Amino acid sequence: MKLHEFVVRRLLLLVPVMVGVAVFTFAIAHIIPGDPAAIQCGDKCGLIVDYTDDGDPITAYEANRIRLKMDDPVLEQFWRYITDLAEGDWGDSLLYHRPVVDVVKDAAPITLEMSFLALFIAYPLGIFLGIISAVRQDRMFDHVSRFFAIAFVSLPIFWFAMMLQLYLATGTEHGGICDPIFGTEGGCFPIYGRHDPSFTYPEDGYMWFYPEGGTGFHLIDSWFVTDEKLATLPAEWGSNWLLFKDTLMHLALPCTALGIASAGSLLRYMRASLLEVLHEDYVRTARAKGLSEFRVVVVHACRNALVPIVTILGFSIGGAIGGAVLTETVFAFNGMGRVAVTSLQYLDFTVIMGVTLITSVIFLLSNLIVDITYAIIDPRVRLE
Amino acid sequence: MKSWDDGRENREESRRRLREALAQSRSDLSRSWKIYKRSLLAMLGLFMVISVSMVAMFAEEIAVEHPYRNLQDTEDKWSIDYEPRRVAPFSEECDWHEQKITTNPNSPLFSDTVVAESDDKVGDDNRYYRDTLSVIRIIKLEDSKGYNLNTSLLSIDPSNSSILIVSSELSSNTSLYTGVWVTYEFDNEAMHHWWLPDGYDVCIFGTNDQGQDLFSKVLYGAKVSLKIGLTVATLTVIIGTIVGSISGYFGGRVDEFIMRICDIFFAIPGLILAMAFVAAMNQVTSLTIPVWLGVLIPLFVMASISSSYLSSTVPLDSIVNERTMNRLTYYRWWILAIPIVLFFLGWLPFGIGWPDLFGLSDDNTWRLIATFSIIVLAGIVTLADRRFVLDTSIEGGLERVRESFDWTNPWRYLTFRTVAVFIALALLFNFSGNEGGEIVLIKDFDRLWKVQAALIFTGWPGYSRLIRGQVLYVKEMTFVEAARSVGAPSGRIMFRHILPNAWAPLLVAFTLDIGGTILSASGLSFIGLGAEPGTAEWGILISESRRYFLDSPWLMLYPGLAIAVTVLGFNLLGDGIRDVVDPKNRR
Repeated sequence: MKLHEFVVRRLLLLVPVMVGVAVFTFAIAHIIPGDPAAIQCGDKCGLIVDYTDDGDPITAYEANRIRLKMDDPVLEQFWRYITDLAEGDWGDSLLYHRPVVDVVKDAAPITLEMSFLALFIAYPLGIFLGIISAVRQDRMFDHVSRFFAIAFVSLPIFWFAMMLQLYLATGTEHGGICDPIFGTEGGCFPIYGRHDPSFTYPEDGYMWFYPEGGTGFHLIDSWFVTDEKLATLPAEWGSNWLLFKDTLMHLALPCTALGIASAGSLLRYMRASLLEVLHEDYVRTARAKGLSEFRVVVVHACRNALVPIVTILGFSIGGAIGGAVLTETVFAFNGMGRVAVTSLQYLDFTVIMGVTLITSVIFLLSNLIVDITYAIIDPRVRLE
Repeated sequence: MKSWDDGRENREESRRRLREALAQSRSDLSRSWKIYKRSLLAMLGLFMVISVSMVAMFAEEIAVEHPYRNLQDTEDKWSIDYEPRRVAPFSEECDWHEQKITTNPNSPLFSDTVVAESDDKVGDDNRYYRDTLSVIRIIKLEDSKGYNLNTSLLSIDPSNSSILIVSSELSSNTSLYTGVWVTYEFDNEAMHHWWLPDGYDVCIFGTNDQGQDLFSKVLYGAKVSLKIGLTVATLTVIIGTIVGSISGYFGGRVDEFIMRICDIFFAIPGLILAMAFVAAMNQVTSLTIPVWLGVLIPLFVMASISSSYLSSTVPLDSIVNERTMNRLTYYRWWILAIPIVLFFLGWLPFGIGWPDLFGLSDDNTWRLIATFSIIVLAGIVTLADRRFVLDTSIEGGLERVRESFDWTNPWRYLTFRTVAVFIALALLFNFSGNEGGEIVLIKDFDRLWKVQAALIFTGWPGYSRLIRGQVLYVKEMTFVEAARSVGAPSGRIMFRHILPNAWAPLLVAFTLDIGGTILSASGLSFIGLGAEPGTAEWGILISESRRYFLDSPWLMLYPGLAIAVTVLGFNLLGDGIRDVVDPKNRR
């Protein structure tokens, strides 16, 4: 199979899954108890807002039902849902009074930025420790690192995040360990939030100085803030670097909490994968040629040991987005996880559907990219 | 007439084989244990799992108080009459008691002395009473506005430590007529840990903002978490195995269909899916299934068992007989058709439910079940007797029923099995309680059950994939081919030949999944979609501690450690088992 055939095949396979996910979200939103029409009008449901042609009164509740077309057959509603989705109309949020697309557009970069950075930390760390662990198999380092790898996977993310907050983001009076060591005040890192609170001036939560239509990743956007806008900011934030640094500092703890489990599992995969490769003939050949151990491991063995690791990346992204629900709750990030929790608590049906759908799209796309990458790295895959 | 003596040699042979198999499995087990023992981490994991299980088992004995009761309320002795406070671990304040003393001379309570006693309590006989507390020392005296007074204004009666003597200076101070608050240390033997040395035995994990002992809560939390972990992992394994083996064994379209459904499940992050599922079940208060489903499922299971039994036990020499063969096929389909025909009879054409059909009211549904049980019992007993299939006369039907209850009949175990199944069903039905046309599976379908249901719902696709892969691998082996070539039915090949050879990765996944489930369940509780607030569940304990976590870090530290230790234990255990079942290590 040629590569482009493979890609097309994978894309086609995505279609039924996406339709299935859409059916699924639609079903969930319909099973969840609660009436969107009643939620929208609140305590004014009984008010008469209009009259039918026959002169019968229409209450606000009934008007809502008509407007939301809730009395249509379910199949018809589903069809409309699918076509609307395809046209980019995901409905309006009952809670935020904004289109769901906008809500998701605001929330998704926050989660993605955090997840990507977390994996960005976790991957090199896990791979590096995994290599050392495999090279020093059954020695002390191996045992200790394996224990910690399993321990990190076993930590509840939210608890670990709170522990990080407690010890790295507070002053000595609360048991923080940073102040005496680094001479900081009130801990090394900010305790929660995505930015320093003074950032959001004049409007709460609105980063007016970031460029319109930017990526939404503030690590990137901070370098594109224009000089005029920087000049209006207080002196301590008045440069691209300071903006970038602030974002990075705020991301440090959430990313550590999120990435630590991935790093742990990655260490184990890398160790197993490398151990397998180290027993191969070509590694023995390389050793027999008199190459240095470093060259044998890093250049010859690792290249092949890393191939299966690529596949884990897809699952890690899904795991990171799931874990983001917890870290975002702890660190008060307004990402997709938090939006999902809030929408479920307030029964905001359209947002529930939107968030579930967008997370699965992200997950599927990242898996697709991983699969294609894998097919490029390892051409045997395409033959199956 | 056949008798027990007919197959004596065969039975002895099978007994000998059983003995051999047992000896073999014993030696296998000891070798596995030898491999397992090699790893220190695995032993550590086993130790952790055993200790957590012991803690969960003996939580009542170790814990000081019931997790939902107030600290001062131990053994129904003390009531809550003080401001509940968060107390750090090992702090003396656990033994402190705060009480209001009325110093107003017009108050009926007033006298020279004030008895240190608990607040009004309602006893079993509905009368108010007060318990006396023996006071050890007076710690603080405050007026009603919270200003400190000199503690020497109160003193303990040397002859009776339950009596506080109010000095005349205090009682004559008219500005304090509204009362003063005294904090005293009282003798708190009831909540001391018998298994710890003196001085380290009071609220070792501190108390929460309700004044409840965190240690007891964490201990009881082990019960909840282990229960969730084991239930969810077991049920997920069962569902996943069934679906996965069907998918792997039959392949083709079935496989494609099931795997696409699994893909959908994989596409949505597990935690978000579980959250949505918990929310979707928000208003379900008890898990029920309609009676028709409750009748139909056991009927169908029984029918397919007896049908597959028919096809697998008919002797080879009789299969040659074409007439018997036709008859066999005919009856097989007939058995399978019973439930379906009955279902459509009762349900579709008339649009009425089963109760209406039989003229029974809803609360009489058990009679419906009983009636059906008897019908099916008779039917299956008659049909499952293989001689019925081989016999030429159909008129002998009644005779067969009588024969199947005959003590000397070698095939009567079939009857026993059927009777046993139906008795079990009837008991299950009876104990689960039934409410108007529905069989109640879980009466109190609380939030914990919802979490479990959600985790089962999101968890099975993983196992399905795992088992499918295993089945695909084992299916190609020669012994499966051999079984198929002698005409073994699909069910038998699957459960007798394929699954026993595919269990190893399943066991590892199961162990690891217990830990994973505990993590997810506590995560769900943490974001407020799991256990009810106030439950002794680790996730909700951490979630409740968030408000105070800077001032009272112990509130989150210990529940979190408990989760981490438990999950770590199961993960290490699973890792150890992986080493054991790894064929590379089995040399």
